[in-house]
Amino acid sequence: MTESKKIHFLYRFQFENGTEKSFDVVLDEKSLELVRDEPKTKPEWTKLKFSQCENCPLSDDVEYCPVAVSLAGLVESFSDCVSYEAATVIVETRERTFLKKTTVQKGLSGIIGIYMATSNCPILSKMRPMTRFHLPFANSFETFFRSISSYITAQLLLMRRGETPDWDLKGLQEIYKEVNTVNKGMTARLHMATEKDANINAVVILHSFGDGISYFIESGLTELEPMFSAILNKNESSEQEP
Amino acid sequence: MNERILVVDDEESLRLSLKFKLKSAGFDVEVAVDGEDALEKLKARPADAVLLDINMPRMSGIETLTMIRQQYPQTEAIMLTGFADFSTAIECLKIGAKDYLVKPVDTTELVTRLRSLVRSRSTERALQEVHQEYLGFLTEDVLEPLKKIQSLLDQLARPQSDSEKERKKALANAREAADTIEAKVKVLARFAKEASETAEGSGEPSAMQLTEQLKGIRQGSSR
Repeated sequence: MTESKKIHFLYRFQFENGTEKSFDVVLDEKSLELVRDEPKTKPEWTKLKFSQCENCPLSDDVEYCPVAVSLAGLVESFSDCVSYEAATVIVETRERTFLKKTTVQKGLSGIIGIYMATSNCPILSKMRPMTRFHLPFANSFETFFRSISSYITAQLLLMRRGETPDWDLKGLQEIYKEVNTVNKGMTARLHMATEKDANINAVVILHSFGDGISYFIESGLTELEPMFSAILNKNESSEQEP
Repeated sequence: MNERILVVDDEESLRLSLKFKLKSAGFDVEVAVDGEDALEKLKARPADAVLLDINMPRMSGIETLTMIRQQYPQTEAIMLTGFADFSTAIECLKIGAKDYLVKPVDTTELVTRLRSLVRSRSTERALQEVHQEYLGFLTEDVLEPLKKIQSLLDQLARPQSDSEKERKKALANAREAADTIEAKVKVLARFAKEASETAEGSGEPSAMQLTEQLKGIRQGSSR
């Protein structure tokens, strides 16, 4: 049996004082599940019942929150970091290398986003396809666009299965509502696990994408229309042809 | 006109999501990337309220709040933080922030608090206008004519000082001044009675209505 391929996102944080922290996030290429060794010790705040998310569907026999366990090492490493601390963040993937002089919170939000979506939380798993096309340091519009594109791809696949697709993206807004409840729950956990605000603000950034997506679907998408004029005005241009 | 809110946060996605949410709630929203930018934006155009992140590079939210309270006392502030800290919250409230919210902020809660904040601020401003108008009424429309009457009475009291024609003119002037006061006070009394009945019934007359009424009385119209 052949071992399935792995996807690596190697995040390196280079700080102004010359120190560096690096995290290699490894995913199974097919399932996009996080590949990690089970930690020997798990902090108290990773227990499922410790500030459990309001919408958590996991049963009582699950002892630890899978998201919290995935994040524990990273959170501990950045516990004493201030959100706006400057860092050069380098992200190496199989295809390319990204580099940005940014803030710790911005770099962290990318890596935390991958951990959260791939850690087997039943709610966050719906975000998993986006990790395959993870874009480090993405701004809000890039994230909205990726998110909508990913959801529409899923709807197309549903349609091919003979099911009813959700072209209005109502389901996407519902997903983000649930995801944001988890994000909120996670920030509550992180308050107990961290000394400064970098980790928490990184999750708050993820939460802000979820907060903005409804408005983007309602109003922001229209602003993108000119970009799609060649496709949207296809009939007009063909009528003009001799 | 919509209430103007300035969102100050060093993180783009947070600025954008707050801008989206507050715009859809009907506010006029502008954003600033840090404290210095916020002060520049306020200088160019004042805001009714600022949403101010506490942990920001260069100038912290608390430093920015201090400057805003000094330079733009009319602008209210709500502080936002990712890391809840009781002593910082107290410090912000002491400096003059009206509220302190922990991120991620619940949209409905934020909009409710902002509306309540700008509403109480508008009410305060409207009551100040009523006060000014009432003061103007008392000094210009009551006290000055009364002084005129007193002066005319003094003139009449002086023995043999004026001719009969001048005495008649002074009496007519005094009468006119007294009639003017009486007319204006009567309108004010009628309005006060109606306002009192409105308050007992469907609801209080707004401060803006009170100001308009007082202006009407002072300009000589009886509504």
